[in-house]
Amino acid sequence: MNWFDKLLDWFSGFTDQWEKHGVKFTLYTTIAILIGGLFELVPPFFLTKTAEPIQNVKPYNALELAGRDVYQKEGCNNCHTQMIRPFKWEVDRFDPQHSYGKDGYSKAGEYVYDHPFLWGSKRTGPDLAHESQIQPSAEWHKTHLINPRDTAKGSIMPAYPWLFEESSTVDASKIADHMRGLQKVGVPYTEEDISSAPNLLAGKTAGDALIAYLLKLGRDTAELSKSLQ
Amino acid sequence: MSSSEQKYNDTIVKGFLISGLVWGVASMLVGVWIAFQMVYPELNFGPYFTFGRLRPLHTNAAIFGFALSIIFATAYHTVQRLCRVRIWSNKLANLHLVLYNLTIIAAAITLPLGLNQSKEYAELEWPLDLMIVIWFVIFLINYFATIFTREEKQLYAAIWFYIASWVTIPILFIVNNLSIPVSWIKSYSIYSGVYDANIQWWYGHNAVAFVLTTPFLGLMYYYLPKHIKQPIYSHRLSIIHFWSLIFLYIWAGPHHLLYSPLPDWLQTTGMVFSIMLWMPSWGGMLNGFLTLTQAKEKIKTDATLKMLLVGLTFYGMSTFEGPLLSIRAVSGLGHNTDWIIGHVHGGTLGWVGMMSFAVIYYLVPRLWNTNLFSERLANVHFWIATLGILLYIVSMWVSGISEGSMWRAIDETGALKFPNWVQITETLKPYRLFRGIGGGLYFTGLIIMIYNVVRTIMNSGSGFKEVDLRIGSKEEKVV
Repeated sequence: MNWFDKLLDWFSGFTDQWEKHGVKFTLYTTIAILIGGLFELVPPFFLTKTAEPIQNVKPYNALELAGRDVYQKEGCNNCHTQMIRPFKWEVDRFDPQHSYGKDGYSKAGEYVYDHPFLWGSKRTGPDLAHESQIQPSAEWHKTHLINPRDTAKGSIMPAYPWLFEESSTVDASKIADHMRGLQKVGVPYTEEDISSAPNLLAGKTAGDALIAYLLKLGRDTAELSKSLQ
Repeated sequence: MSSSEQKYNDTIVKGFLISGLVWGVASMLVGVWIAFQMVYPELNFGPYFTFGRLRPLHTNAAIFGFALSIIFATAYHTVQRLCRVRIWSNKLANLHLVLYNLTIIAAAITLPLGLNQSKEYAELEWPLDLMIVIWFVIFLINYFATIFTREEKQLYAAIWFYIASWVTIPILFIVNNLSIPVSWIKSYSIYSGVYDANIQWWYGHNAVAFVLTTPFLGLMYYYLPKHIKQPIYSHRLSIIHFWSLIFLYIWAGPHHLLYSPLPDWLQTTGMVFSIMLWMPSWGGMLNGFLTLTQAKEKIKTDATLKMLLVGLTFYGMSTFEGPLLSIRAVSGLGHNTDWIIGHVHGGTLGWVGMMSFAVIYYLVPRLWNTNLFSERLANVHFWIATLGILLYIVSMWVSGISEGSMWRAIDETGALKFPNWVQITETLKPYRLFRGIGGGLYFTGLIIMIYNVVRTIMNSGSGFKEVDLRIGSKEEKVV
């Protein structure tokens, strides 16, 4: 009998017993899956590096947050990623102006106010993590969203003309509730941030808000990086 | 059959089988549609039927509509037979079926409306999440009560896999879905940024593990030996691969986040455990294969057995490809590309889909007490589905590797060779078109099966007689 058979004998000696006791079996199964689960979820929770904002990264203002809601609603994250990997070819593509100095890839501190994170898992369109530095023109974004083929012939992105229709103006009262909700999970909004919402959102459409969000992406860290250079 | 109907509740199994067929059609129809949207953007009918809103509908209907229906159908069917008792409560079972289907209908309405949490495979907004918790608890009470009142002492291997799924799914689901509601239709995840990503992929990968893998291994352990009338090849192999599978799988989540700002040690853990996972996965596959070889002469004639064989093959393939893709260097090329879509569909169309079809062909004649309307159509379904999967995966392999290579291609001066994104999109177009065609073939196979099933049910009650398909009809007449 080789060692492997012996190991099997020893192991099946007690699993055979568990198989006759429903409660025991269920309990041990739960323990087996909890070990890895706890290891993965608990230690990172206490790592400050994943939780501290990079100096200068600010929460989304009311209009940008409304735009982020639109981004989520339309499921933009199904085709656009928001996470630049530390490869030269990704940094070159998604940080063409070298706004972030030598290391234009994504850092943990850029995402601290993101509830939920929107990294996506499929990059059918380009990455948007630092979009404000790639395409800073609001007018370009509007043309692109109304009909992507007008700015990029051959694009397979859906057209979003209704975002700019008058009927799709953003609701200031709703966004205040959204900001209060985010306060509860740790986003440091001040009362002033919330009370200024109606002014920021006045007359703005969902499309305007979405563009404001896109132009926020990567802006704070780029400003920091420029001030350091 | 009538004595079995008295002893066991088969109505609930029928209910879940039919809901599986309905959600199967819905999810795959949307799947084919969004596949063509990626070639012809004119197929996006705004605002409700754009890719961004339909893609979550496709994944949710496929995983939680189709796959979960089949899982519940087989869970109710196997637990009663393996425990030799009727399901503990018929009322709870019916309540489960009704609430479950109401939730999926609500999902099919709310997702096109754009109500979603943006977390992959956990898109449903919080009121629906609560509803899911309610019917899952109802189901758990019923299932475990059945086990605890059983007349058979030993819990058979199939039951282990189901139990592992039932204890893990709620933990994953609840932890990942914790959020602060800000209205009836909107909530924000309580986690943020990198930590939210970590939780999401701990959940996301283990949805693959405990919704799309363990229940289907469970049903394999019951229906495969039953169908070929041979015992499972090795009981010991099932013990060892069960315990190592459920222990290892849960660690694999971070392989979705390689090269991200997630702490390096966590990424490495995810990668190492993913590679180790190859062993228990292949343990399960080999146990299935070796069991199947005991009836290998039947493979030529029997469509159900062919589907089990191809299902197992794709399980082996996807669980080989998974560890491969979780190696950092390979992930560097494959991450975010069509390759991943191909990999996922190898698992879902090949493993989950084929195993489900096999079970449907096994169960429908027995439950409705009649023989299958057409064995020939079942064979047509098998071939057309297999061809569809192959077309799908091969085109996605080519597309994904081209995509990854073009992103990283650099010319002699060190500049990007393809700085224009649309140029890459245009290159991938023909492969994405073939993917759509492959998916369309697979969908056609499903429709053929539904026709076959409906015709079978119309014949209901004519008496089920097991036929050994190796013996031609001519010889049968002689007998």
